[in-house]
Amino acid sequence: MKRFTIIILTCLLTAMAAMAQKGLNINRLFDGRYKKAPGATEIIVTGSQACEIGLDVYHSVSVTDKTQAEIIENLVVKDGTKAMDKEVEYRHGQLYYGFYTMPKQRSSNRYIFFLNQNLARKSPKNVVTLIYMEGRASADKIKKLIRK
Amino acid sequence: MSNYRPISSQQELEQLIERYFDGMTTVEEEAALRHELAHCPWSSEDIDDARVVMGYFVTHRKQQQRQHAMGSTRQRIIGIAASIAIILAVGGYTLWHQQQSRDICVAYVNGQVVQSNDQVMAMIADDLDRIDNAANAMTDQLSSLGEALELDNE
Repeated sequence: MKRFTIIILTCLLTAMAAMAQKGLNINRLFDGRYKKAPGATEIIVTGSQACEIGLDVYHSVSVTDKTQAEIIENLVVKDGTKAMDKEVEYRHGQLYYGFYTMPKQRSSNRYIFFLNQNLARKSPKNVVTLIYMEGRASADKIKKLIRK
Repeated sequence: MSNYRPISSQQELEQLIERYFDGMTTVEEEAALRHELAHCPWSSEDIDDARVVMGYFVTHRKQQQRQHAMGSTRQRIIGIAASIAIILAVGGYTLWHQQQSRDICVAYVNGQVVQSNDQVMAMIADDLDRIDNAANAMTDQLSSLGEALELDNE
């Protein structure tokens, strides 16, 4: 019976570990709140389609609501403090552009992009974009992907 | 036992049983009687009683022990099978869950669902273009800063 209990516990822990959260602050934004929000766009791509662009996960959110934009920026900046590598640009005290390489998780590289187009010099737009990417692709490969 | 003649009929066996209960049998006859009761196909009230008195309890205990051993083996097999079934179920569920959450290609635009792979991938390209433009702006800024510094040093 003891052996039986240990087997069940091991299985449950394995299953829980497999479904564990990614441990980033921005994950709070991917709880489905933007799926029905007006002025928001959320894109989720995993599996074979994500493989086509060399990733395992592509998850992005674009919002026009300024309050939401602030929330997103704050969470991105918070995650940015744990980044292994980052390229950021602030304009007027606000984050304009950010590319963060986050610590690996289960041998997957993780990247966060942030762009506040309100702060663009050329044709600013009322859009804030957050992109989370996960996969084996290196930071250089991701940059190449962006510049395609 | 070698001195004892094999019993050839049911009647002869019943007579031997009677003699046994009267305490008139020899050791060899008792041994032969036990052997006969264990193996012969005959059945009558006397024969069955003798079987009960002379051998049933021993045989019954042995049978119980065998059944108990078989029972515990069966329980062990059921336990192992149940463990394997649970492992397969949990593993299967995890794989299924991973598979379900694996192939997703969807976008939500102003509350509207977009499920066409081509449209979603085009939206991704658009996202990446915007990021690229911002990154280029940053690079341009850096290079113009570099050029300004070079000019200043000349």
